[in-house]
Amino acid sequence: MLLRVLLLLIVFAVALAPRAAEAQEPAAAPAVTVQVEREDTDADLNLSQPDFMVVTLPTTLRLPRFKSAFRVTHRFTRPLGQGDFGNLAEDFFGLDTGAVIGLEYRFGLARGWQAGIYRTSDRTIELFTQYNLWGQANRLIGLSVIASIDGTDNFTESYSPTLGAVISRELGTWGALYLEPIWVNNTNPLPSEVVDDNDTFMVGIGARIRIRPTLYLVGEVIPGTGFKPGVSHGTFGFEKRLGGHTFQANFSNGVGSTMGQIARGGIGDDNWYLGFSISRKFF
Amino acid sequence: MRVRLLGLGLAAVVFAGTAACDEDLSTLAGPTPNLEPTFSSIQNEIFNTTDSSGRLACINCHNAAGAPFNGLNLTSAVSYGNLVGVASRGRPTVLRVAPGAPEDSYLVHKLDGRPSIVGTRMPRGTGPFLTAGQITIIRRWIELGAQNN
Repeated sequence: MLLRVLLLLIVFAVALAPRAAEAQEPAAAPAVTVQVEREDTDADLNLSQPDFMVVTLPTTLRLPRFKSAFRVTHRFTRPLGQGDFGNLAEDFFGLDTGAVIGLEYRFGLARGWQAGIYRTSDRTIELFTQYNLWGQANRLIGLSVIASIDGTDNFTESYSPTLGAVISRELGTWGALYLEPIWVNNTNPLPSEVVDDNDTFMVGIGARIRIRPTLYLVGEVIPGTGFKPGVSHGTFGFEKRLGGHTFQANFSNGVGSTMGQIARGGIGDDNWYLGFSISRKFF
Repeated sequence: MRVRLLGLGLAAVVFAGTAACDEDLSTLAGPTPNLEPTFSSIQNEIFNTTDSSGRLACINCHNAAGAPFNGLNLTSAVSYGNLVGVASRGRPTVLRVAPGAPEDSYLVHKLDGRPSIVGTRMPRGTGPFLTAGQITIIRRWIELGAQNN
């Protein structure tokens, strides 16, 4: 009997020995991994910040590591105030006219760090990156730093690099407010030898307010100093979130959408342009 | 931590790269690639030299040997004194060059060929005239005070 018990103990010991050894060293790794995955909430829906952009200003929404998102933007070039309402209706509120179309793809390089490329149909290409320093979970505000550079004529001319910060304040699940000090260099298309200002410092002020479970109002105004031949860029619109998609219709006083274009300002406060954006998260 | 350093490093690269982003003045200057917004440069590149576009040097006509057109001698020794702060003959109420005010300078009006000028657009003839870039650089010299530099 004692021999049987000893034999059984040996068999159990042999059978369990590898698992016990794994449990001490490598087995610790999967346990940690599971814990990390549970903490990685970047892929969770954030009702206050459902998208990576307000309209043209970035939010502090984090893109999960190795995930991506796509966005298409349209800014119709017909001023809505041109002609009477009949003329506007004939042009189907600007949709019959040309548009500046933009395509964007962004990718999560690491936790909190994303980068992407955005090209508009006026042949401007913008490369951008954003790093989220902290979210609002344990602090008063969320904070990201952004850097980008856009170049005209398919990134062969007039490079305008940008550095800035994105400060967000989420209002529970009711939306978020944004304050974004941004510096854009080389905004003037002329050489610095013949101009007074070749930089623009702007402060983006934005808001996204959730008025229905999946419906938001969005707005931005971006005053600035330095070289800014146009008026302060302004835009407002409404947005519908549908799963991983966001559909936005907006009205802007210009058709610019890259940082360099925004820094140069809108066309005029008397001219408003219809636009829309559609974004899709691939996670 | 490594990610933060990478991010900051990238931002530093962008920041450092800003110096290389400015447009090239020589591109703006076009047929006179060495043109700068200084009087000596304008004298050498515009007044004294026929440029690569075929635009004639100003001193072909505006010189001391011939009859200085409208009393304007643009040869090196006297051109600055004949231009800056001096009333034009065509429109005596307008200075040839009003320091700091290119829009009020008759030189710019003549180079632009504005309707308000007396006589013809300069350089005389059917062109080539100064390019918009060349005129921009001359305007900048005036804007900066039209110094004798």
